[in-house]
Order: sequence, then structure tokens, then C-alpha cells
Amino acid sequence: MTDVPLSRINLKDRRFSLSYPPGDEDLRWSITAVGIVQPVILLDRTPYVPVIGWRRLRCARELRMRSVPALIVDTDEKTALMRAIHDNMARGFNIIEKAAAVDAMDRFGFSRDEVFELMGHLDLNPHEKVLSSLRKVASLDDPSRDFIFRKRLSLRNVESLLRFDDRERKKILGALTGLHLTDSTLREVLEMLELIRIRKGTLTGRDIPLMEDSDRLRSHLKQKTHPILSSLAKKLRAIRGAMALPPGVDIRVDPFFEKEYIDIILKIGSEDDVDAALGRISELVAAGHVRRILELTKGRIR
Amino acid sequence: MSSQKVEFVERPGSVVRKCPGTKHHICCGYQTIDLVEGCVLSCSYCILKAYLRDDTVRISYKPESIVAELDGMIDGACDHVLRFGTGELSDSLAIDRRYNVNRFLVDYFGAKRKAILELKSKWADFRHLIPHLNPYTVISFSVSPQRFIDAEETRTSPVYKRLKAARLAQEGGLFVGLHFDPVVIYDGFERDYRYLIADIGRILDPARILWISLGTLRFPPALYGLLLERKRRYLLAGEFIRGEDGKYRYIKTERIRIYRMLYRLLTDIDPSLFIYLCMERADVWKEALGIDVKDSEGLTGLFDERIKNMYGGTL
Repeated sequence: MTDVPLSRINLKDRRFSLSYPPGDEDLRWSITAVGIVQPVILLDRTPYVPVIGWRRLRCARELRMRSVPALIVDTDEKTALMRAIHDNMARGFNIIEKAAAVDAMDRFGFSRDEVFELMGHLDLNPHEKVLSSLRKVASLDDPSRDFIFRKRLSLRNVESLLRFDDRERKKILGALTGLHLTDSTLREVLEMLELIRIRKGTLTGRDIPLMEDSDRLRSHLKQKTHPILSSLAKKLRAIRGAMALPPGVDIRVDPFFEKEYIDIILKIGSEDDVDAALGRISELVAAGHVRRILELTKGRIR
Repeated sequence: MSSQKVEFVERPGSVVRKCPGTKHHICCGYQTIDLVEGCVLSCSYCILKAYLRDDTVRISYKPESIVAELDGMIDGACDHVLRFGTGELSDSLAIDRRYNVNRFLVDYFGAKRKAILELKSKWADFRHLIPHLNPYTVISFSVSPQRFIDAEETRTSPVYKRLKAARLAQEGGLFVGLHFDPVVIYDGFERDYRYLIADIGRILDPARILWISLGTLRFPPALYGLLLERKRRYLLAGEFIRGEDGKYRYIKTERIRIYRMLYRLLTDIDPSLFIYLCMERADVWKEALGIDVKDSEGLTGLFDERIKNMYGGTL
């Protein structure tokens, strides 16, 4: 191990850089407190090329350290990359780091079998299509990578996001970045946006406005992709509003209006409750409310 | 036609199966003979894309055991006429001229005279079978507007060739079947179907159409992702919901509207046409066609009656 001046390390050469996000506040605090404990690994070139320890080097530069403890290795690029990958594997990779690792292997000329072997160890399906998606992720702009990282997107949602062009993706990120989204909600939103784009041939700002929460956005998109279903749901809400169901009586309708029947649920504590509920149901039938709901479920009304 | 790999395989177990149908929907009681698995026509909406592991076409050719199995099934079905088809996991005719896999079935059903074989296809060439055909084989074609075929069924025969081939079958003394399946909603589809049905009325003899099926586009969730990925504009124009069987299908009110339209156009050609819905709910049957079919048994009964009428009680 030796102390290497930062000025002799090429911090712009990121060919072995895998870590994402690059900054780490905890590491910075630790280095401020006790310095760099674990030496970085540098490739013996002039200037030195960082192989392992990117975050430490970044902190050292930010903290204006003059030198860092380092191990110098003289090896070929492929071996250096494998060392960088295996050094990081123990802590686990996020999706952006996985993309960076397989992309680097592909660029450095590793065989498909070798790349697929790594993908298997990274819990990725070793398949050409997945590799292609990951390579696209590796070349995404920072805001897109940051969105994927912060929202912890599944590969399925990543692939969906990648199907939009740069301009569309920018609009989507603008609308979604501030929202709390589960993976399944995001999947639904992205699917609806894809559907709108396929039908219209383009995706404009009007299609994906800024909304306060994900439910509103989902409802807005649903009206565009499923106008009939939205209209049926609205009619059902109006009927339910007019029915003024008493506590203990509920009417359940298939959310897709596919089942032709409805469920009437009674919560009963006594015989009097039964009489009261049946009496109220009879009134609702006489007023035509139940018939109107059945017209929706039988597909007679659009 | 295609550079897909075709291979003969030895498959253990039976290739004769009851059509799996789908939960909460009425099934016609069809029996499938899965001689071929995979299809060279590669229509963009084909559910085989979601089910099969690759695009190799596998032929499982074991005539003796299939015939033995068919014998047992047909002889055991005393109460109704069994209908068999080879077009469930493949197209019946697309590779038949080259591999001749249907011929033994055509001969068998002709000799047996107690059940019907349906060869269902989008490929309009069955000339190699003509010398062997008999009334117990029904040549059927899936039909769609040419605009849709151009977009989504690019390797298949044009619809006018399918209708001409159906006409040829009718002239040879056969009954034919027509399958409006999948019916797909896209901008202007109503007009296209009007023209298509008008063509059918001009080209075919309605008295020799044994059955017509109507089925709107439906597919498993796995295929939905593929359609989005491949930006299938025609296929994604309609409004889909998840049915009780988990498959994507058009919202019910749209299905009813489509079936009503097609049923009216077809019965305008000939009110006695036998038209059935493929994999639909009982309430859709009632709303769209005004026919009260309670369950799959009920539909099988309608088929029996139709076959009895058309074959003059000879089956």
C-alpha cells in the first residue's frame, strides 16, 4: 500500500466506475472523522486509473485531501473490470449498478456466456433482451437514472420506461418524480401512457399533466384509455349517491362491469335489522335504482 | 412463406384433447387434435406467442394411436356428434401441402361417418386434399377485413383468396365454416366488416355454410405486454378490461354492440345461418343474439341440432 497524490490519479477516467449514486454522505462523514480506512485500487498507468474506490476518491476530492492510500495493480482492463465488479458484489448492486456492470463487460469484449453468467449472479434473467435493456439503462441521462434508482423501479417498469423516446420520458419524469408510486401503480400508469401514445402516435404534455397525487393521475389517464369504463363508473356513482344506502347495506358491482349480477351485502345484528334492510331494499327496487345498476352490468348502457 | 424451423417430434401422451375453454364462458365443446404445435403464419395477436417457448413448429405425427383414441371417443359419444379440429395450436392448412399431416384424418372421418373434422385456416390452399375430401371434413376459414390482414396477419392468404377457397370447397360438395375471430375494433372497422360480409354473401352459398363463429379479440396478460412493446395500434385501439378468466377482452357493452352488428349483417344474407359466439358469457349471448344459452352443454345441443339438420340425420 502506498499514499498516492490525488493529482496523479485521472478522476475523469470512469471506465471501471460502477457505483450509483456517486455521492455518499455517510462515507463523507466517516472519512472526515477517521480518513480513508480501506485503500483504493488503482491501475498502474500514467496517470493512475481508478479501479475500486470511486466514492472514496470523490469524497477525498471534495474534502480537498492531497493524497489517498492506494494499492497499485498492473493488469489488463478485463481483469481490472472483473475485480471492480467482484469487489462490489458483496454489498449488492442496485439496478443502475447492474446495468453499468453488464454494459462494461459487453463493451470490454467479454463473451455472451461470461456476461450471462454474471447476469445470473445478479438475479437477472440471462437473456439478450434483458441485456439490451440494461445497456440502454447504462446510457440514460442522469435524471432518468436517478428516477429509476430513487423509485426502485422493477426491470419490467424500466423496460416500459425505455420504450418512450427522450422527449416523452422527460415529460413522464416531470409528472411522476414528485409522486409517491408503488411499483404496481407505476406499471399501470406507464401502461396507460403507452396505450395513449400508441393510439395517438404521440404523447404530449396534456396527456400527462402535473397532478397532486398518483390516484388523480391514474384516474385522469383511465378516462383517456378507458372512456366507456370511466363513464359506467361515473353513472354507478351517481346511482349510488341517489340511493343513499343506509349503514349495514351495501351493493357491490364488478369494477369492470363484466359480471351481470350484483351483490347486495347486509350487515345484520337482529331480526329488526333484517326487516329494516329488506324494507329499504324494496324501496330501492321500487324506485328503479337496482334496475338501473343492472342495466349497467348487463351492458345495455354505455 | 417462412424460414421457421419445422421438426417432427415424439410426444408422450395424447394429442387429442377437449378444448380447454375458459372459466365463466360458454364453450362449444370442441375437441382438438394437436398434431402441430406452432404456426408459420405468425399473426401479431396469436396467443401461441405467449404460450410456446420458441417459434419452432413441432409436428407430432402418430396416426395409429390417434385413430385408436378417436375411435374410442367417437364410439363412446352416443348422445351427441363430436367435432374435432387441428387448428387450435396451429393453422390446419399452412404447412399441410408440404407435410401432409391431415390426410389420414380426412380419410378416417370419411370412413367413420359419425363425427366431423374441421380444418380451420387462414391459408387458402387445400388443393392437395381435394381428391380425398368427403362431407365429414369441414373446410373453415378465419375471416377479417383485408385492411386488418395487411396490418396484423401479414403472412396469411388475402381474404378474397380464403373466400374463393371456401367457394371451391362448397363446389366440391363440402360444408364450410367461417370464423370471425378475432373481431378487432379499430377506426372504421364497422364499415370494413359491412363490406366483408357483403363479399361473403356474393361469393359463398349460405346454404352450405355449416357454422359461423364470432369472437372478439381476447388474450392472456402476457400477450398484452408484447402488444404494447410492439406498438400494435390496430389491436390496442379498443377498450380492454380483464375478464373473469383473467384474459383481456373488450368491455362488455362493446362486445355486445359488435356481435349485434355482425349478427344482423349475417342474418340479412340468410336468416337460417348458424351463428355462435366463441368463449362468451351467457348474458352476452342473451343481450347480443337474443339466444338463451345457459351453459356449454346448451351450446353443444345447438350444434347437434344444426348438424342433424344439415346432414339429414346421417350422423
